[in-house]
Amino acid sequence: MIHLSGVNKYFGDNHVLKDINLHVNAGEKVVIIGPSGSGKSTMIRCINQLEKPDSGEVVVDGINLTKSKGQLKKIRQEAAMVFQQFNLYPHKTVLENLTIAPILVQGKKRTEAEKTGLEFLERVGLKDKAYAYPTQLSGGQQQRVAIARALNMHPKIMLFDEPTSALDPEMIKEVLDVMVDLAHSGITMVCVTHEMGFAREVADHVIFMADGQILETGTPKAFFENPQNERTQQFLSKIL
Amino acid sequence: MLLSKKKLTVLALTAMTTFSLLAAGCGGESASNSSSSSSASGDIMQTIKDRGYIKIGTKVDVPLFGYKNPDTGELEGFEVDLAHAVAKKIFNDPSKVEFTPVVAKTRGPLLDSGELDAVIATYTINDERKKQYNFSDPYYTDPVGLLVKQSDNINSLKDLNGKTIAVPQGATTRKAVEDAAKAAGIEVKFAEFPTYPECKAALMSGRAAAYAMDTSNLAGYVDDQTKILPDKFAPQEYGAATKKGNEALAKIINDTFQEMKDSGEMDKLLAKWKLNK
Amino acid sequence: MDVNNPFAIYKWQALFDARDIFIDGLTTTLEVVIGALILSIILGIIFGVAGVFPNKIVKVINRVYVEFFQNTPLVIQVIFIYNALPHIHVMMPVLLIGIIGVGLYTGAYMAEAVRGAILSVPRGQVEAAVSQGFNYWQAMWYIVLPQSKKIMLPAMANQAINLVKNTSVLAMIAGGDLMYQADSWSGSNMYYGPAYVVTGACYWIICFALSKYIGKLEKEAEV
Repeated sequence: MIHLSGVNKYFGDNHVLKDINLHVNAGEKVVIIGPSGSGKSTMIRCINQLEKPDSGEVVVDGINLTKSKGQLKKIRQEAAMVFQQFNLYPHKTVLENLTIAPILVQGKKRTEAEKTGLEFLERVGLKDKAYAYPTQLSGGQQQRVAIARALNMHPKIMLFDEPTSALDPEMIKEVLDVMVDLAHSGITMVCVTHEMGFAREVADHVIFMADGQILETGTPKAFFENPQNERTQQFLSKIL
Repeated sequence: MLLSKKKLTVLALTAMTTFSLLAAGCGGESASNSSSSSSASGDIMQTIKDRGYIKIGTKVDVPLFGYKNPDTGELEGFEVDLAHAVAKKIFNDPSKVEFTPVVAKTRGPLLDSGELDAVIATYTINDERKKQYNFSDPYYTDPVGLLVKQSDNINSLKDLNGKTIAVPQGATTRKAVEDAAKAAGIEVKFAEFPTYPECKAALMSGRAAAYAMDTSNLAGYVDDQTKILPDKFAPQEYGAATKKGNEALAKIINDTFQEMKDSGEMDKLLAKWKLNK
Repeated sequence: MDVNNPFAIYKWQALFDARDIFIDGLTTTLEVVIGALILSIILGIIFGVAGVFPNKIVKVINRVYVEFFQNTPLVIQVIFIYNALPHIHVMMPVLLIGIIGVGLYTGAYMAEAVRGAILSVPRGQVEAAVSQGFNYWQAMWYIVLPQSKKIMLPAMANQAINLVKNTSVLAMIAGGDLMYQADSWSGSNMYYGPAYVVTGACYWIICFALSKYIGKLEKEAEV
């Protein structure tokens, strides 16, 4: 479903992604962990081309994005992203946040977009907030709306870029619960996070990144109980 | 056109009424000031004498009349000499005059405000102006002429039918050409510009087919691409203007000019500036 | 009231009799204001968005436009179009010069107002929109610009009011606008008192109405 091969990315002189190879099959859940500044976010943003790799290939759902730029819009509808800072549209109601892209980008009818939108809001437990504005919600609620907004695009892939990092501790669980529920639905997920409990519970693979490289990949069990790379061991010893 | 004409009229009327009230308030005061006009006039004359010099407005961009010579930096011309003659009459010293440059538009306001005692600046006498200012008897008569481009193949006023003519703002030229065009049975349009060089620029760019102005003034703008048409019309009479209420000064100026005419000095001066036809 | 008073009653009477000239001028001024306002807003949005466009060439084009029109006097631009372009056989009608000249000039200031307002919206908003499949212009139009209204509108209102007053530049090129008619009429008969008071009042009314209207839009944008 997702194939990154030989991807390099520079910010000025800074070599942030070094020859990255990543393969995610349909339905797989992949969790990426690593210290800050390791290139995790940049890598996940290469999947939907919010960052353009300087070299290497990105193929998503059989479409080579580094070659055919015309397909970008299609891939962005198939790979929906949830951001650290939620990035809800503050001038729109919660329901409008869910429906604006399906209507304008996917050409759906308003009634249809609203119907599915309300279903997803119910799934994240916020149906009663449909007509509120984002600023009237708590951080946790906003992130759940952001997940519902992503789902209302009916994507094949969900990309999470540190979805709980900006939240107060008491709100993290409500967001993780939604994410766990989502993971059991069979959708393909790539998730950058520091939530090790979440990684253990849902991940098919855990990936450790540092200094712009993928240093270790493994099942949660192997990864957490028997890490091979020295850097992985150091990192885990600090946070576990 | 968003607003109908009717609405605009209402708008204009409202504004005018408001400001009339305001103006009436101001006017009351000045009316009482000039209640005894003759004594006020004497006072103004006394003020000028006490000051020791007279303030006169002249052109600085009209060769032969009032012109600041770019080579010498000196103000020179027929009207400048007339101003000196007035100073000589009052103070017995031709140098007792302070010159201020004026353009067509500023002549009236500078007199009204008292900045200037008199204006001797190719000021054409007409009825509307006589209502507001005292004019001396004419000291020069100049017909309006037309400057055209040689390449345009225009040889008389009639060839300007339907065309645009550039004229300076605040001058009587427009009215003069309008009347002449009517008499010739043609129709012309006008474009007014704040200065003479802008009139010339409009002629050269083709925005206007002709530049109309007093003939003596046009002479300074002829070059190898342009020519003055033989048609001359509506002789413009130049007079020296003073503020209403200052009859004493008006009389002195008029007397000065009359004496110069009688003595033949005026003719000599005209000859000096090659203005004797 | 004596004849020397610039506001003497007979001068007001003369102005009233000549009202058609001033109504013509006001109509022309309003036409230029509306045309130039529409043009400057369109240019302002296009170049304002171009000013934050993630492409160097587009950004450079924005800078060239803004710096050129902000840093040269409007009078020169307008006189250039009026008197210089005819020499290369471009003869625009005066009304069009007013709309294009004032519109281009104000557009540069509008572009800066729009650019500043866009920069006040967090970057994440564009990223969120783009990640949902919006293209850049859609993201601007549907997501960023509506959020930047609060900051954009007051800045644009200032420029709109300057635009109204700047249309008086047409008087320099025989534009037939309100200022030109006031100059022309009062220049020949010297009744400048009533002429300029009424002309000033007309500009004031246009500007006042405009700023009230934009104030109303601002209130709506706050909700």
